[in-house]
Amino acid sequence: MMGAMASPTIEIESIGGHMASEVAKRSGASPMSCYQCGKCSSGCPVASRGDFKPHELVRMVQTNLHGPVLSSRFIWECTSCHTCSTRCPQQVDPAGMMDALREMSRALGAAPRSTVVPVFNQIFLDAVRDRGRIFELGLMIQFKLRTRRFFEDADKGRIMYRKGKLALSAPQVGGKAERKAMFDRAAEGGTK
Amino acid sequence: MSYAFFPGCSLEGTARDFRLSTMAVAQKVGLDLPELKDWICCGSTAAHSTDPLLADALPAKSLSAAGGATVAVACAACYSRLKTANHHIAGDAALRARVAQVVGRDYDGQTKVLHLLEILVRQIGLQRIRSAIRSPLAGLKVACYYGCLLARPPEITNFDDPENPTLMDQLLEAAGATPVAWPHKTECCGASFSITDPSIVLELSAQILLMAQAAGADCIATACPLCQLNLDMRQQEIEAKSGRRYNLPVFYFTQLLGLAMGCPADDLSLGSLIVAPGALLEAKGIGR
Repeated sequence: MMGAMASPTIEIESIGGHMASEVAKRSGASPMSCYQCGKCSSGCPVASRGDFKPHELVRMVQTNLHGPVLSSRFIWECTSCHTCSTRCPQQVDPAGMMDALREMSRALGAAPRSTVVPVFNQIFLDAVRDRGRIFELGLMIQFKLRTRRFFEDADKGRIMYRKGKLALSAPQVGGKAERKAMFDRAAEGGTK
Repeated sequence: MSYAFFPGCSLEGTARDFRLSTMAVAQKVGLDLPELKDWICCGSTAAHSTDPLLADALPAKSLSAAGGATVAVACAACYSRLKTANHHIAGDAALRARVAQVVGRDYDGQTKVLHLLEILVRQIGLQRIRSAIRSPLAGLKVACYYGCLLARPPEITNFDDPENPTLMDQLLEAAGATPVAWPHKTECCGASFSITDPSIVLELSAQILLMAQAAGADCIATACPLCQLNLDMRQQEIEAKSGRRYNLPVFYFTQLLGLAMGCPADDLSLGSLIVAPGALLEAKGIGR
């Protein structure tokens, strides 16, 4: 009986590769090269707290599990420390993959509600567009207003002020209109 | 020796002390650091997590204005973003064209970018550093902490050994300090999660403090505004959570170097450090 059965094979093409190609196109990462050694996850500083570990997410990308990957909390807990990409024996570049997944997750509005990282990133980039540089105090106040986290770390502002670590006036680099046009062209993909 | 200085946003605020101490040290070794004109934010993690094209375009805008000068960077995060953009743009003609469309001018990705540690050790040289030392940091055991972004990814930053960098160790050893051997030189402190999810920073920074202490360090030296802020500002909270006492001052490496070169404490803004270094420096007879 055993002899009559063909050994099971998984045709990578038949299960897609679409998600991996999308990730590769956006970031240059190569999820399809991963053979699951787990080196990325063993060096990852936040793997132990994530819903999935980096090597699991790579496998899930290989097998087109769009939903669970793009709504994963881990992709928003990744600190972009690049330990995984530095140590990967297959040049998969999991850190680059996470950038692509964050971009895809955000485009679909799939980020879990428990993460405020996308909100922070948007406030940060709006500030760069408007002022050219980050005004840390303004950024923190805006973030607190938007996320209504008024009491978390309330003492930190006082400490930083006392230690002279807070600039109290906002920087402003000229060329605001030019920067806005630059952000608009980037959003269009730099093709116009 | 002259470089166009890219301070980055943090050096105008929370890392003011990094900037002041950098300038104090530069003056002692004949390093001229005129500010790169009209530099803008590198985009940091927010840009590369959101839009890869914008993440390359923001550094390209600043770097294309350098006019052939080599750019000197203090912040490890800015350094990483500027070097990554260079790597992408120089290696991909189609991307270069798209970045040119976005920025409004062509940039070839060839502006050379160096971190202060590279400049001090490899360009100025340890011999010159040694000759500028007035008050060696004798008996001071330092955990040199590089963080994530100086040495990784190595094919982009080309900074030093990605698992065991030694540039800061060499520099502070030349200043008379004793760098300790420890395994957390390039572990992550949690970076900008300090704002979005402090629990990550509390967990990761606690491990770094624990290991620095276990290695016998008296203090930590950093080269990144976020590393410094997380290890310094969160230290008391970490102590309260863990029940362990660290009391490890977290310096910028430029502050320690400045002390060894005889710069007055005010010029190095030592008063900005949250874990006060006074008792340690007093006990070691440093900066007197």
